[in-house]
Amino acid sequence: MVFSSDARWEMVDEITRQTVTYGTYKQTLGAVLGDLTVKPLTGIPVAVAALYAFWSVFTSFAGELVTDGFMVKFFDGLWLPWFQAIWPDPGSWHYFLFIGNPAADTCFEAFGMLTSGLFVSVGVVLPAVFVFYLMMTLLEDSGYLPRLAVLMDTVLHRIGLHGYAIVPIILGLGCNVPAVTATRILETKKQRFIMMTLLAIFIPCGAQLGIMMSIIPDLIGVVILCLIIGFGIFGFVLNKIIPGENPEILVDVPPYNWPVKEYVIKKLWNRTKGFLKEAVPFVLLGILLVNLLYLGGVIQGLANLFEPVFVTWFGVPKETVGPLIAAFLRKDLAIAQLSIIPMTAYQMVASVVLVTIYFPCVATFVVMLREGWKELIAAIAVLFVVVFIYGGLIHAVGILLGVA
Amino acid sequence: MTGGKTEMAVLVPERGTTVLMIGNPNVGKSALFNRITGANAIVSNYPGTTVDFTSGTFIGGGRTYTIIDVPGTYSLDPRDAAEEVAVRMLRDYPDAVVMIVLDATKTDRGLYVALEVMERGMPCIVAVNMMDAAHEKKISLDIAALQRILGVPVVATTATSGEGVRDLADMLRKAKVADIGAIAQRMRGEEPEREPAFTCGGCGGCGGR
Repeated sequence: MVFSSDARWEMVDEITRQTVTYGTYKQTLGAVLGDLTVKPLTGIPVAVAALYAFWSVFTSFAGELVTDGFMVKFFDGLWLPWFQAIWPDPGSWHYFLFIGNPAADTCFEAFGMLTSGLFVSVGVVLPAVFVFYLMMTLLEDSGYLPRLAVLMDTVLHRIGLHGYAIVPIILGLGCNVPAVTATRILETKKQRFIMMTLLAIFIPCGAQLGIMMSIIPDLIGVVILCLIIGFGIFGFVLNKIIPGENPEILVDVPPYNWPVKEYVIKKLWNRTKGFLKEAVPFVLLGILLVNLLYLGGVIQGLANLFEPVFVTWFGVPKETVGPLIAAFLRKDLAIAQLSIIPMTAYQMVASVVLVTIYFPCVATFVVMLREGWKELIAAIAVLFVVVFIYGGLIHAVGILLGVA
Repeated sequence: MTGGKTEMAVLVPERGTTVLMIGNPNVGKSALFNRITGANAIVSNYPGTTVDFTSGTFIGGGRTYTIIDVPGTYSLDPRDAAEEVAVRMLRDYPDAVVMIVLDATKTDRGLYVALEVMERGMPCIVAVNMMDAAHEKKISLDIAALQRILGVPVVATTATSGEGVRDLADMLRKAKVADIGAIAQRMRGEEPEREPAFTCGGCGGCGGR
């Protein structure tokens, strides 16, 4: 027997009347806070404070304390010199692959699998990702995320999305892979396409943020600003040109809860484990591949081929072609590689932005493919156009400001 | 990504041993799922955490159940891709038992999708979750009455503390096809013609029969 929607609701009302009694209860602290964090007047300052706190803990704990205070000293002071001392044949191909540059003083410069590979993945990115996931888990489990969604609704409507798109965006700042799957909570194809494309292009993952924090602490703000502006501009354009609906946000805002300790630990462990399983092998593989391509002369050839585009159009050195190849495997690795190319501040910002907005990493690519190959192809077409236009635009701004 | 083991299109080995967890978003399906199966589905405090299904196993009463944590949905007319997954799962597992999960503080909302599932004639069991939150909000629920009205087992649970989860798991084998016509009649104030011969107070032990 099948009922109409109205008939069902009538039955629901009657069942509820017969089984549920509502008592009176006092407004709890959680509920009061809940209201304050959704109303724009009080909610926006709270959101700014929350995100600032998030960022401060991220940079000070992961960046300054763990990476600079411990990992850099360990890897540059002990690990690298030890390998350089014991590995035979500094001039050989295997030395080049595993240890890298025999004259290197730091693990960024060496660029061997066992030196830079482990330093980048375990020394720099792991602490960043760990702290990021911890903060993100607290945001998720407390119930703040849907409130942030309500607050961001107006802004996100301008770019064809609604407030709930904040969920894939925040997840994407951790890792783009779960973020792509999370776009399923958006209602229309148009929204999902815009979100997926913007994620793949403009949202740097936790690993990238961690490595940027470590190698360009002074310029990371400019890089992020470039990404946010690009996100806004291209979101606006995509919203105009892609047909489809952008319905209103319909979200259930759950009550605030103290995060349950065991859930937090479980989730943190799962995500960190996922990172170790997927990222570390890819970083090592990436270094191996790039070093092999160097040995074979492929990268030098490509660099010469793309020189006009890179030097004239983007205003960055042709050596950045190598990192862009590595970027397909791991973007954090590519940014680490950029750090050893001598560049001006402008060139550094431009090349880091290019690595970020260029092709999604292979893991993101695979999940996007799973969500639909037509969308993936369209997203990549958009991506090429965006990289070309935005890269040129940044160069133009750089010229106007007299820094490029 | 969903934690635990995600399996695509697994064939059902034995009738009545696949359990689909269906309910509104953010009612604690994943938390209950983790409690029952010991798996690691991601649990968060916002609707839409689960966008893909996760499956796990529970062994009880000599049977091995495949429990599937399905993305939350407000109705069986899907609004988004995550809700489509829920509808697809119901279609792909026509012989499954459905565990309907309700939020005790918002039973009315969850009952809508519960009735939709019951109309499909699939065997059901109802978990009224988040009893702790209902208690805090001074909402009291007559679980026995709900069980009598729906004619399927109804169990009160609190997934975060684990309360009632054991009962819920034990009750899986008592899942029954709800007589939706009888429910409708009862709600119109008429007693169904074939009232079960020995109605009890609804201790939760037998599903009212």
